[in-house]
Amino acid sequence: MDTAPLHEPFIATRGLTREYRMGPAVVRALADVSLNVQRGEFLAVLGVSGSGKSTLLHLLGGLDSPTAGSVLVNGRDLATFTSYERTVYRRTVVGFVFQSYYLVPSLTAEENVALALTFQGRFGREGRRLADEAIRRVGLVHRAGHRPSQLSGGEQQRVALARAIVHTPPLLLADEPTGNLDSATAREVVSLIQQIHRDLGTTVVMVTHDHEMAGRLADRVVRLRDGRLAEEGAAGA
Amino acid sequence: MRTWRIILLAIGSLRRTPLRVGLTALGVAIGSSALVSMVAFALGVQRQAETPFRALGLVNVIRVSPKRDKDAGRGPALDDAALQRIEALPGVEAAYPDFRVRGLKIALGDKTTTAVAIGLPRDVPLPGTAGDLLVAGEYFTPGTRPEIILGTQVARDLGLDTPQGAIGATLRLETSGLAPAEAAKTFTFERKDLAVTVVGVYDLPNLMAGKMSGAVLLPVDLMRQIPGVESGSLLDRLKLGADPTQPGYPEVTVRVRRHTDVAPVDKAIQAMGFRTRTLLSRLEDMRTFFLFMDVLLAAVGAVALLVAGLGIINTLLISVLERYQEIGICKAIGASDGDVFVLFLTEAGAIGLIGGLCGLALGRAVCWGLEAAINSYARAEGITAYLEVFAFPLWLVTATVLFSAGISVLAGVCPAVRAARTDPIRALRRE
Repeated sequence: MDTAPLHEPFIATRGLTREYRMGPAVVRALADVSLNVQRGEFLAVLGVSGSGKSTLLHLLGGLDSPTAGSVLVNGRDLATFTSYERTVYRRTVVGFVFQSYYLVPSLTAEENVALALTFQGRFGREGRRLADEAIRRVGLVHRAGHRPSQLSGGEQQRVALARAIVHTPPLLLADEPTGNLDSATAREVVSLIQQIHRDLGTTVVMVTHDHEMAGRLADRVVRLRDGRLAEEGAAGA
Repeated sequence: MRTWRIILLAIGSLRRTPLRVGLTALGVAIGSSALVSMVAFALGVQRQAETPFRALGLVNVIRVSPKRDKDAGRGPALDDAALQRIEALPGVEAAYPDFRVRGLKIALGDKTTTAVAIGLPRDVPLPGTAGDLLVAGEYFTPGTRPEIILGTQVARDLGLDTPQGAIGATLRLETSGLAPAEAAKTFTFERKDLAVTVVGVYDLPNLMAGKMSGAVLLPVDLMRQIPGVESGSLLDRLKLGADPTQPGYPEVTVRVRRHTDVAPVDKAIQAMGFRTRTLLSRLEDMRTFFLFMDVLLAAVGAVALLVAGLGIINTLLISVLERYQEIGICKAIGASDGDVFVLFLTEAGAIGLIGGLCGLALGRAVCWGLEAAINSYARAEGITAYLEVFAFPLWLVTATVLFSAGISVLAGVCPAVRAARTDPIRALRRE
């Protein structure tokens, strides 16, 4: 993957379309989206709910397959990946943060973070060190032994963030990470994401409906409306 | 290593629903305990039935006789030369003529009794665990000393009240019979008294008691001195249709070292041109019956375990539904389909293993209780020997645990496949 030419975008979509069948009706969640994400870029995807933002993220993260069009990773079509390569892509290249945190309720914060490492085949001393580091990065060392039910929403999202970056993935996909949080907590989480982006050079694609926040943080903002790319502009535009 | 980690993860997640996991494992435990106790019963009964044969070493015995005339051609003579050839076969412990005298008169002072005398070789010890049957004294000593071993019944009949007290007593054997003269053309009636020393007393377990404790054992060389013993079975020989003028013994006992030697030695002796009979072959018939019994009882137990398997399927399917979202999360953070499959299959296997081990303990406890009950009933009926109704050989223990784990893993396949195929998007979307 690193052999790709430097001018080539890290992630690109070409005519990306995703349709869902809902009984007799076909719902088009994403229609003909073409988009380039450069390595190290912070891209915000704006849109109201139902505009296809999450679908876009799922497609970028290899969780879902497009009906038409393609997702290119370093120029290689994700559709040509074998099922195992796709798993490895999810495991090593992508880190996911969701609106509803999606922590495993029976595991402590630290165990949740380590879970991602387990699937990557890293555990024992190395796993603990990486998990500790990720938890320190999100500032939750004092809450590491708590279960999700004992944590506030903001704390849970920070655990989820630690889990997403524990393996220092080059790509962080954040799906409305502040959607369930009050504005003060939201700011904390967002500034953490920004810090990770800056410190680790992580490419971030963040979906949000808060265009003020998007404009403030992102290098570039794109807007989705009814599954189509509506406009594209530089941050602050 | 990575898979091992995932297995540990699966075992950890069993703790989340202890009641449900416990009940499911209990189902497996009941199933496997049914299986193990049923088979243990079948094995126990079989062992109980075979023990007497084994104890007397009868399993390792081949009886050899000359071919009858009506068989294809007349076979070679079963004489001392033939005995030597048989004794030289690999695996053979001893070969000796099967001397047996019925109604042998035994006297001690003014007390007399009659008994069956059985000839046994001096130079080889008693077969199997038969040596344990000696309650006093020793087996015959090598040499030619006139010795006798008494059954407890005979000892009592002679007024020797304790087995220990009988050792060293000198008895008089009053023998008589038709001894051959002039190369077996004519016979003369002979009487002969033999003085013998008691060297041992044997007793038989209650179950096999009866006639046998009314017998005495004599060394083969001593038996030869009893007039007519070598020709005494002339009538038997005629009855069998054999040539009465043929030299040699009507029947010879061949003892082999191990029961696995029976078949090859049997074959070799047949190849020499003799007829053979083995108890093992009759025991095989009995075993076929027991095999049927084993299979039947195992089937009943297996049905119980299969029902428990359905319980596992049910439990895990519910678990898959409950953890639908969690499966989605795991996939989103890098779990492969295979990882999820292993995760759920391990849970099934662990439930099975726990259930199997508990079932084993449960089965063992139940059998122990039943055995105690059966024995107290047996004692009330006057049977003093302890009856081991159940047998738990190591293979049964291992097989039970492996079988319950196996069934459980099998039951886990369907839920595990379902979990592995979960679409992460749909799983994540469900709130």
